[in-house]
Amino acid sequence: MRERRGSRDEDRQGRQDQGGSSPETRGSLLDAIRGVKWPALRPVGGVLPGAHHSRLRGAAPELSEYRVYRQGDDPKRIDWRLLARSDRAYIRLTEDRSIVPTMLVVDATASMAFPERSLAKWRAACDIAIGLAAVAHTSRDPVGMVVVSASGMRQLPSRTRRGIVGELARALDDIAPGGTLPIAPAMSGMQVRIRVAVISDFLGDAADVRRRAGEIAAAGGEVHAVHVVADAELDPPRRSVLAVDPEDASLARPFFAESRAAYLERFAAWRSELSASWRAEGLSYTLARVSEPAEWVVRRVAGAALGMGRAVPPDARSEVR
Amino acid sequence: MSFAAPVFAWVGVAVALALVALHLLAWRRPPTIPLPTARFAPEAPARMVSPAVRPADLALLALRVLLVGLISAALAGPRFPSRAHSTARVMVVDRSHGPEAWSEIDRTARSAFRPGDALVLFDSVARQVRNPTADSIAATTVSESGSMSAALILAIRAATELQRARDSVEIVVVSPFGSDEMDAASASIRRIWPGRVRAVRAGAPPNDTTPARRVDVRARPGDAVAAALALAGTTSPGAVRVIRDAITPVDGAWARDGGAVVVWPAAAPEGWQIRAAIDTAFGVTVISAASASPTGSARPATVVAPFARRVAPPPGQVVARWDDGDPAATELALGAGCVRSVAVDVPTTGDLALTPAFRRFAEQLARPCVSSRVWMPVSDSVLSAVLPASILPDSIVHLPARHDSQSDSSIAAWMLAAAMAAALVELLVRRGAANATA
Repeated sequence: MRERRGSRDEDRQGRQDQGGSSPETRGSLLDAIRGVKWPALRPVGGVLPGAHHSRLRGAAPELSEYRVYRQGDDPKRIDWRLLARSDRAYIRLTEDRSIVPTMLVVDATASMAFPERSLAKWRAACDIAIGLAAVAHTSRDPVGMVVVSASGMRQLPSRTRRGIVGELARALDDIAPGGTLPIAPAMSGMQVRIRVAVISDFLGDAADVRRRAGEIAAAGGEVHAVHVVADAELDPPRRSVLAVDPEDASLARPFFAESRAAYLERFAAWRSELSASWRAEGLSYTLARVSEPAEWVVRRVAGAALGMGRAVPPDARSEVR
Repeated sequence: MSFAAPVFAWVGVAVALALVALHLLAWRRPPTIPLPTARFAPEAPARMVSPAVRPADLALLALRVLLVGLISAALAGPRFPSRAHSTARVMVVDRSHGPEAWSEIDRTARSAFRPGDALVLFDSVARQVRNPTADSIAATTVSESGSMSAALILAIRAATELQRARDSVEIVVVSPFGSDEMDAASASIRRIWPGRVRAVRAGAPPNDTTPARRVDVRARPGDAVAAALALAGTTSPGAVRVIRDAITPVDGAWARDGGAVVVWPAAAPEGWQIRAAIDTAFGVTVISAASASPTGSARPATVVAPFARRVAPPPGQVVARWDDGDPAATELALGAGCVRSVAVDVPTTGDLALTPAFRRFAEQLARPCVSSRVWMPVSDSVLSAVLPASILPDSIVHLPARHDSQSDSSIAAWMLAAAMAAALVELLVRRGAANATA
């Protein structure tokens, strides 16, 4: 009877963790995020025309201001009509818009394969990655992806072509989470002034990932941390169980009344510390519960450019909702 | 099947239940679930106490319950009813005599005892042993004197209870049948029980061959007390010496060896307290002088006559009193015997000493010590009169030794052996389970 009750608990937990969508139902996700913009956190320095404000000023049709012609300026930019009216040579200054190459770093280690039956944590991470890719692709940003799994790092370079989102989705569907490889090496060798979104549970090399993210940000890029947390991790079973870390079978901890309370306290403190450390370096941090729709997470991540100045606690997700 | 000591059976049941409860609360590993954030739980032993609906280690539990059951059953002493025991018996065993007599009583009673018999042990008091075994015969203390009447009352009560479940019940009395154990009520109590009573004499030879000795009197010729004792023909199974003069060291040593020295001085002896006023008493009674006899001669003896009271006897146990209650004779224990001091001044003139009342009075005073262990077995004729068998003409039988109790003892031994075997198997199974777990 206890086994049947335990099975019912797992089924209930599994239903709670049905956060991810199947490949067939991702159309609804893409519909839900249609029109969502993911602006860069700060003006970018790219030269290719795009949707993000550029630090460069060029010959875009949108006028910003006039400036007196100086030697060395391109004579093509002289406003000849103004010169005719005022007999002074001015050049038109316009605000350029540029693209931001976006790279999604997706954690596919063993800790993401949770719960074992539904893999809801992994599927939620996939949906978030596809949603962010779609949003970035809408802004004509090149989108690429690095997936860290048991089979190693699988990298898809940034592309702007039409079917790149579908390619990313198919690549994610082909991957089974597992292994214990670190994520930080996947963030090495990336170009400067890039936008990186790390979708992970940060239970591996979280410190190295944050350090590498800081380096990218210092080089002019921007990094978004999307912390995926399963509901079973936030509310573990109340019955007596022996919890085993899927990435380390030797790490087994019993759960009963006292240890459960201590677990909740420690886990909350760790999440607060993780959030504070990311934000302290000017990085974006978003907590994503598996049970909430992926479009909500995508909208929060995309809106981070507007709220970077505001400190949002990691557990205030429901308030944001 | 019944148990000689059911408390062990109940204890075994309780221990078995406790074992089952412990197996339901065994230390075990709880069900394992994967949890990526398990590292945030505090470290604790992976094994914990957890209740379960089904007991763990059924084989071990069965072996342990079997082990406890065998041990408790062996200690409880199982007994199985037998057709040969359809006749219930009430064993009445005398415990009122010394170790020298007890060894034979014990042996005889054990040989006569059968499982299922009721057991009544008696000395000065009688008590029935619940769920008796052969070993219960020795489980009591030995008192100085015995009361056959009390034992018969309890035996008849036990026999009445047994009669409800058995076809026939008989009472078997194992005793040396000393004269001090019988009283006037013994025969009447025996007649209350209509069934058979078998008297088994053990611990002493029949007194028909016990020689009785005459009382030794040291007095001047023509002494009134000596004449009275001579007329009474007093004999004593113990050693009694009546002296009409002062007690000597030889008399004291003789008393220490177990004799009864009756100091009945003709003249006021030295050391005795002189009464404040010499007066006259008109009666004296012996209230407790010596061990009783089955013939009833230990009745109080009273002499009604004028006696001049000059001295008072030394302090001691009062054995005779004047008509006003003052002590007339006392007894003091000395070694294994006693010294009885009689402060009754027998008049030298007249025929008082020749009267039957005075003869009985002197006879009672010339009996062995109250505390003397010297006892006299009643004769077979007296025993037949007091405890007649209802059917057999010869009620005094000697029972053959039986060995029925050995069968139950062997069952207990086999149970203990099986328990040892179960303990060995349990050890092997436990080691095997530990190796499998490791």
